Amino acid sequence: MSMVELTFLMLSGVAVFSALLAVSTTQVVHAALWLVLTLGAIAGCYLLIGAEFIAWVQVLIYIGAVVVLLLFALMLTRAPTGPDSATTTSNRNVAAAVSVLVAGGLAAIMVSGFAGERLAPPRGGVGSAASIGDAIFGTWVLPFEILSLVLLAALVGAIVLTRRGPERDNGAPGDVPERAQH
Amino acid sequence: MTALTGAVLAQNALSAADLPQIGAPAIEYGTLSPVLAITATALIGVLVEAGAPRRARFGLQSAVAIVGILAALAATVWVSIHDLGKVSFEGTDLLARGKTVAEGALVVDGPTVFLWGLLLVFALVSMLMFAERGLEGGLSGFTGQAAVAPGGAGEREATMAGIEHTEIFPLAMFALLGMMVFPASNDLLTMFVALEVLSLPLYLLCGLARRRRLLSQEAAVKYFLLGAFSSAFFLYGIALVYGYSGSFTLAAIDTAVSNQIAGQNLLLAGMALISVGLLFKVSAVPFQAWTPDVYQGAPTAVTAFMAAGTKVAAFGALLRVFFVGFGGAQWDWRPLMMIVAVLTMVVGAVVLIRQTDVKRMLAYSAIAHSGFILTAFAGAYEGSAGTATITSVSAVMFYLAVYGFSTIGAFAIATLVRDGGGEVGHLARWAGLGRESPVLAGVFALFMLSFAGIPLTAGFMGKWTVFSAAWSGYAWPLVVAGVLTSAVAAYFYVRVIVLMFFADPEGDGPTVAVPSVMTSAVIAVTAAVTIVLGIVPGPVLDLAQNAGTFVR
Repeated sequence: MSMVELTFLMLSGVAVFSALLAVSTTQVVHAALWLVLTLGAIAGCYLLIGAEFIAWVQVLIYIGAVVVLLLFALMLTRAPTGPDSATTTSNRNVAAAVSVLVAGGLAAIMVSGFAGERLAPPRGGVGSAASIGDAIFGTWVLPFEILSLVLLAALVGAIVLTRRGPERDNGAPGDVPERAQH
Repeated sequence: MTALTGAVLAQNALSAADLPQIGAPAIEYGTLSPVLAITATALIGVLVEAGAPRRARFGLQSAVAIVGILAALAATVWVSIHDLGKVSFEGTDLLARGKTVAEGALVVDGPTVFLWGLLLVFALVSMLMFAERGLEGGLSGFTGQAAVAPGGAGEREATMAGIEHTEIFPLAMFALLGMMVFPASNDLLTMFVALEVLSLPLYLLCGLARRRRLLSQEAAVKYFLLGAFSSAFFLYGIALVYGYSGSFTLAAIDTAVSNQIAGQNLLLAGMALISVGLLFKVSAVPFQAWTPDVYQGAPTAVTAFMAAGTKVAAFGALLRVFFVGFGGAQWDWRPLMMIVAVLTMVVGAVVLIRQTDVKRMLAYSAIAHSGFILTAFAGAYEGSAGTATITSVSAVMFYLAVYGFSTIGAFAIATLVRDGGGEVGHLARWAGLGRESPVLAGVFALFMLSFAGIPLTAGFMGKWTVFSAAWSGYAWPLVVAGVLTSAVAAYFYVRVIVLMFFADPEGDGPTVAVPSVMTSAVIAVTAAVTIVLGIVPGPVLDLAQNAGTFVR
């Protein structure tokens, strides 16, 4: 087993372990922080298979933006963050059984599909920023541009769902909306 | 690299040799013009939202949407005349006509153009329903302010002040854009992006009903969560198929599948997961659970748009992926799709009988009709040059046209039968509608007869084409199951007609609101098409047949 493969295995172990903790912890902030470790370890895996650009995007977007956004959302909505803040339902055991089954099934498919593959030391060029940029602004330019419209639609939607009209701008910040009457 | 960019680079003290050269992508703007027109319409809508005065905004937005769709329709006709050249393979002309555009991201061929035309027409009539303001005292059927709590003081204030959400039009245009790109995608990545563009605005629109807002919000959340879940399945399937074939492009996947380049497990799992994502969108059993709740809770205009549009887009994509990409593995997926088709027809028709709510009834009807369309899909009859037998692709497209018009018309009528609390959902309250408004009840009866597949309505011709395509593909058990479930469903549709015309009204009976010219136009057009396609289906059937097969 080469050095690359050994490191890959270790990073994957860290990713799986912290992912399990992220879903099983009872504190919601801890879950978010375990997620940082998971995503970071996966970024390391990307680096090892030569996808350097994706690795840094993973760090910047997932760790830098998504998880931080999650923490901000927890903070701004004043959601409980103490012990037992990650609520569990009575379906917990069923959900666990289903996830184990699905994970087992997918793992079996992966093993049968890629069992003989060896991890070569990363080659330069394939996953570099230059080649990704070439692909995005060449072959994939149309889906890339359409993706920006998803973001625009989401933005418009967020405004629709949250904006109060000009007639009601006298509400104090943090104004709690009235409860439904029934 | 041009001299200009070279000069700019020199100014920045960078050596051009250090940078990789990026050639400009080739984009066929003319062929893409229908898609570009809808994109422009959506963007103009966003600008109108930002700049126009509030009082003028609703009228302006509906005008922009309708003009934009008309422009896109004109562009579609132009494309169908100019850009559908014959495709030759080793000197012989194939059935397929058209070409791939935008660096191979989209393929504009006969089916694409036919589906674009359908989607644009459905969107046009749906926009007329969106723009209807005659039923809620001068306001639209959408909530005034989505941000205020249902039933609270804020909601009353918004209604008093006449505040309306006009963002619904750009959102609908974004959804329409996704619907147009979805069945035209030439690779799985573009298809996934289109799926998201089409879904996200619909999730939002579902939660914006003016009446019964909690139900509407529940529908939106349910649709969003299940939709996101199904998108994840779709994406995982794409990853597995990429792992198998090493490409996202449907033609390359086809080559890999035909040559069986790797272990079949990856391919089978990938196909299964991709089909979950697509079958969810067409609400096939066992992925239909969201349909009744969402159809019932969403604003009726949105339900009509979604029921017709999403079905067209999703079936177009389903056919393209499985016929083009996985055509070589059809003996693997066809048996499973046959089971799904039978299940969908049976569950749709049997549960339909027990429905008491008009919109839920139309939802189960939508499920049953998905089953009928799936028979032609599972039949997978691709035709051969020189014969006039209808192919699966043409049959599905014709059925989508038939079903879309009837369902939009039925939902338009559902917006008119009202009492003090808004639309009357419960079917028992529709008793006696025939005495209150014979014309409206008559037209609704026409749509029911079309759903049931009675001769001389469009529904009969639709069923005839899908069953004959399934028959040609040697899927005769599906035809038998289809005819039997049609009979079961027909029992329910006829019962609704009997209820409207011959049952005694409950209390005062239903009242029928007088709509503006928009909803009247929608009902008139959809009813006319339902009759015309039943009596002279020839021209549209020819159009569907001439669209030919997919370009690979």
